[in-house]
Amino acid sequence: MSSPFAINGGACVAMVGKDCVAIACDLRLGLQSLTVSNNFPKIFSYGDVYLGLTGLATDVSTVSDLFRFKVNMYRLREERQISPQTMANLVSTSLYEKRFGPYFVSPVIAGINHTTGKPFICGFDSIGCIDFAKDFIVSGTASDQLFGTCEGLWEPDLEPDDLFETISQALLNAVDRDALSGWGAHVYIIEKDKVTKRLLKGRQD
Amino acid sequence: MDSLLGSNPTLASNPAYSFSKAPYNSAADNKEHAFYPYTDNGGSTLGITGEDFCIIAGDTRSTSGYSINTRYSPKVFRIGGDDETGEGAHIILSVVGFAADGTALKERLNAIVKMYKYQHGKKISVKACAQRLATILYGKRFFPYYVTAILGGLDEDGKGALYSYDPVGSYEREQCRAAGAAASLIMPFLDNQVNYKNQYLPGTGEGHDLEPRQALPLPRHDVEQLVRDAFTSATERHIEVGDGLQMLVMTKNGIEELYHPLKRD
Repeated sequence: MSSPFAINGGACVAMVGKDCVAIACDLRLGLQSLTVSNNFPKIFSYGDVYLGLTGLATDVSTVSDLFRFKVNMYRLREERQISPQTMANLVSTSLYEKRFGPYFVSPVIAGINHTTGKPFICGFDSIGCIDFAKDFIVSGTASDQLFGTCEGLWEPDLEPDDLFETISQALLNAVDRDALSGWGAHVYIIEKDKVTKRLLKGRQD
Repeated sequence: MDSLLGSNPTLASNPAYSFSKAPYNSAADNKEHAFYPYTDNGGSTLGITGEDFCIIAGDTRSTSGYSINTRYSPKVFRIGGDDETGEGAHIILSVVGFAADGTALKERLNAIVKMYKYQHGKKISVKACAQRLATILYGKRFFPYYVTAILGGLDEDGKGALYSYDPVGSYEREQCRAAGAAASLIMPFLDNQVNYKNQYLPGTGEGHDLEPRQALPLPRHDVEQLVRDAFTSATERHIEVGDGLQMLVMTKNGIEELYHPLKRD
């Protein structure tokens, strides 16, 4: 249990629906078995793109700030918002720069590309290898549980409301079987012209 | 000789060595041999009860490391049958973990259940069998059977009964339980779909006023479908699960065996 990825705990999941995507995370921050905070969101927004970060909490903060800086610089130079695909490559190259002393994070990206209008999700390992998935991406200490719930509940072409129910049930039931995750959740449903953020209470134990 | 042995000074000065290893003479260099009494043969099992039945299922793949030993090695057994076919059995058992210990445990429990019948002139109840299995497991507290067992049958009232164990005999009666390599994938799915965890009745209020959806015993058809879904999902994401799904369904009419192929990759 001395893995840097499992000290603070946490879980994140992204899913594709019909002309929409969803991304959700838990809110726990812990030190091994001691819960320090129940309000530590792991999803950060960069314009139209949403980035979920699980792993070592200090790296979650550092990496989220680093990308705020990098995406701001991109926006100033290009005078446009960053697309999810470009963001994916930015995350990948930034992580690989630290190939031999990595940030201990497992990032997840979700967003809709406003040029093509197509939903996009992807995940990474800690050194930037991209996992382009058509269905869902999971990360964090509850990733095994999330693979089980997502594989069992997800189906293609879910409407936004059904996608919200699916991702919420997948996350809530997964974190309830992981001692290092839980204590509430944030769920983002991203559509072309609308983003809905919901706060889930979940089990508080 | 010099050209054959190249420029290695150790080998060149001692023509007795034809292999590229320096000679050693220290006693500390003796090779240590070790015997590991356990291996993990992977796979997963799952049990769910209904009103008047009990289903225990397991995949039929047996692995060691990344190799597949066989695509058909059952993990679910009939206990207390009249002969080796298991005909007349009234208890079902699944074992996952170390297959050799699993087989040994099954044989031992089967013999004990038969002896019970000869000595008492009646079949052992599932409740008593469950307690006996715990005793067997705890009997090897310091050299355990490396298995997670699930025991099933019908209780005194004819209701589905399911007992789950850890390797040293801690046990509990439950409605459903997943065990083995993909237990972490299957169990949260079962919490949600069998016990309706995290599901609430719409329009019953807000916050603590929300009414949880009551978990009712599921009909047999739904349970069989859930088991198949759980295993196809686990097969998709876990390399140690696959090849085939074996299901034993216990009802008042006896035990029915079902088999469904799973992905073999």
